[in-house]
Amino acid sequence: MKNTYVIKRIFYSLFVFVVVITLNFFIPRIGVVDPAERYYPPQGNMSEIEYEIIKQVTRKQYGFDVSTWQQYLNYLQGLSKGDLGKSFRPGSPAVIDLIVERLPWTLVLSVSTLLIGLIIGVMFGVVAATKRGRWQDTLLLNASTIMVAIPGFFIALMLSFYLGFELEVFPAYTDSNMVANFDWSLAAIRTVAYNAALPVLSMAVGSIIGHAQGTRNAVIAVTNEDFILTAKAKGLKQNTIRYKHILRNSMLPIVTSLGMSISGLIGGQVVIEQVFNWNGMGTLFLEANNTNDYPLMMGIMLLLSGFTILAILITDLVYVLLDPRVTVGDKR
Amino acid sequence: MKQVLKLRNLKVIFPTNYGIIRAVESVDLDIHERECVALVGESGCGKSVTSQSVMRLIDSPPAITRVDTLEFDGRDIKDYTPKQMQEIRGKEMGMIFQDALTSLNPVMTCGKQIDEMYIRHQGLSKEEAREHTVKALELVGLPEPRKRANSFPHELSGGMRQRVLLAMAFACLPKLLIADEPTTALDVTIQAQVLSMLRNMQRGCGTALLLVTHDLSVVSAIADTVYVMYAGKIVEKAPVRELFATPHHPYTVGLMSAVPRLSDTERVFTQIPGTVPHPTQKPSGCYFHPRCQYATAECKKEMPPLKTIDSNREVRCHHPLSIRGVSHA
Repeated sequence: MKNTYVIKRIFYSLFVFVVVITLNFFIPRIGVVDPAERYYPPQGNMSEIEYEIIKQVTRKQYGFDVSTWQQYLNYLQGLSKGDLGKSFRPGSPAVIDLIVERLPWTLVLSVSTLLIGLIIGVMFGVVAATKRGRWQDTLLLNASTIMVAIPGFFIALMLSFYLGFELEVFPAYTDSNMVANFDWSLAAIRTVAYNAALPVLSMAVGSIIGHAQGTRNAVIAVTNEDFILTAKAKGLKQNTIRYKHILRNSMLPIVTSLGMSISGLIGGQVVIEQVFNWNGMGTLFLEANNTNDYPLMMGIMLLLSGFTILAILITDLVYVLLDPRVTVGDKR
Repeated sequence: MKQVLKLRNLKVIFPTNYGIIRAVESVDLDIHERECVALVGESGCGKSVTSQSVMRLIDSPPAITRVDTLEFDGRDIKDYTPKQMQEIRGKEMGMIFQDALTSLNPVMTCGKQIDEMYIRHQGLSKEEAREHTVKALELVGLPEPRKRANSFPHELSGGMRQRVLLAMAFACLPKLLIADEPTTALDVTIQAQVLSMLRNMQRGCGTALLLVTHDLSVVSAIADTVYVMYAGKIVEKAPVRELFATPHHPYTVGLMSAVPRLSDTERVFTQIPGTVPHPTQKPSGCYFHPRCQYATAECKKEMPPLKTIDSNREVRCHHPLSIRGVSHA
C-alpha cells in the first residue's frame, strides 16, 4: 500500500513536470520571442537586404526557422541532453552554463539562510510553546507581527546602511572580485562568509521568526491533543512526552513549511541580491528580464519549477515516513 | 474494606475572561478496594474535572485547585511534586478516556504505546516489554495480538482501540482506574463488550474503578456506589440498587425518567425543564431550584447541605423526595 502510494506520487510529479515543460515552452511564444527582434531597429547605415539577412541568420542560429511544433520537439530533444538552449546574449552562451555559474552563489545564501532559520527558529518555537503566555512567547508574537509589516528589502537596506556604511562591521556591498578570485582556499571561503553575512542576516531574520511561529503553533496544537493527556496519565517523564509524543507530531507542519522553503532555495532572492550586489540567480533572472533574453528566462523558470516539484515530492515522501495515516486516503 | 481514595473538599476554579467558572465545588469522594464508583451527571457538571483532579492532571495555571485531603492508598498525595506524581500515574492510578482514537498517539504503533508502560514503570527492556504487551492485548481479547501490536491506531476499529486503551491502563495493575466515559463513542453492541471486559479486568486485577459517565444504563450495569453531580456539586450519593429503587433528589429522578424505556407505550420523552445553569452564573440557593418542580422559597435562598439519611445515603436537598412521600417515576 505504501509502495503504490510512493510510485503514484513519483509518476504524478513526472506528469506535472511534463506539463510545466510544455507550458514553459509555449507561453513565451504567445508574445514575441523572435531573436531577430533584438536587431530592431536596423543599426547604422545597414541596408534593408543586409538587415533581412542578419535576421534570417539569427533565426537559423537559434533554431527559429522551423515550425513552432518542430521547435517544441527540438526543445524536448535538447532538454533530454540537459541543453536548455542558447542565450540571446552576445556570443550565444549556453543557458545551462550561465545558470551553473550563478547557482552556487545563490545556494551559499539560501542554504545558510534556511539552516539558520530552521535550527534557530524551531528552537525558539519550542521555547515559546513551553513558556506559553510568558515573556518569551509574547516576544515572539510581537516580533512576528512586526516582521509581517516590514518588507525584506527594508531590513536589507537598514542592515546595509547601519552595519555596512556606518559601523563598517560587514561589507555593505559585495566585493566584485569575490567570484573571480574564488579558489577554495581558506582565505577565499572567509571572504565569501564575510560578504554573505549581511544578505544572509537580512533574510534569516524573517526565516527564523517564520519557522519559530510555525513551530510554536504546531507544538501548542499537539500539546492540547487528547493523547498528550493519555501520555501524562501514563506517568511518562516530561522529556519522553515532549520529544517522543509532542515533537514527533509537531514535525508534520514543520516539514511542510520546510518543503515550501526548499523550493525557494534556487530562485534566489531577487531583491536582496540586488541590494547587496550579489551575483546569483536572482540577479541573473533580472538581467534576462531586462534584455528580453527569453531562452535564459525559460531556463531559469524551468529549473525553478522542476525544483519546486521535486521539493513537494520529497515533502510528500517524508510525510509517509512521519505519519502512518498519509497512505489511508489513497486506499479509499 | 481498605480505602483506596479519600477526597475531601475539592474545589477547582477556572478564571476566564467571561467570569470565574467554579467547575467543582467542595466535592468529597470515597473509593474502596475493588469497588466500582460511578460519577454521574450532565455535560459540564464537573465530573471530568473531578476525575482528572484525582490524578492531579488539571494544569494550574489556568486552573486553581484547592483540596483539603487527597489520600491515595493511605498516602496524602495532595502536596506531591510533579516527579512523585509521575511515579504514581500509570503505575498505581490509571486512566482511560472517551475517544480512543484521539487518546492514542497517531504516529506511534499501539504496541509501542503499551510498551512504554512496562519500560517506564517496570524497567523492562524493549523486547521484554513487547512480550508483556502481547499478553496484555491477548487478555483484553484482541485477535492476533502480536500482529495488532504493530498496527497504528487508525488501522483498528473503535472497539479494538478501546481494548488497546484497556490493556494499557491495566498494564501495571493499578490500584485505581479512572474511566472517563469509556463507552460513549462506541456502538451499543461494542459498548456491552467493552463494559464487560472492563468489569472482568477490574475484578480480575482487584482494581478500584471510578467510572465517569452520563449513561445510567452503564451505571446500573457495573457500578456499586453512585455519586450524582449537578453544576459542580455532589447532589446525591447512594449504593446503586437503592439509588435506582428510591432516588431522593429531584434531579436524580429527572435523570432517570429521561431514559426512554422499551416498556413505555406512549412515545413521549420526559425531560427536565430548563437548562443547566451557565457555569459563571449559577443561581442563588440550591443550584437546581429553577428546574425543580418542588422548589420552595427556602430552596431559592439557601444551598442545602449534604445530609446523611438511611445511614448509607447522602442527599443535598431541603425536601428529599421519598421522605416527603411523593411518588417518583
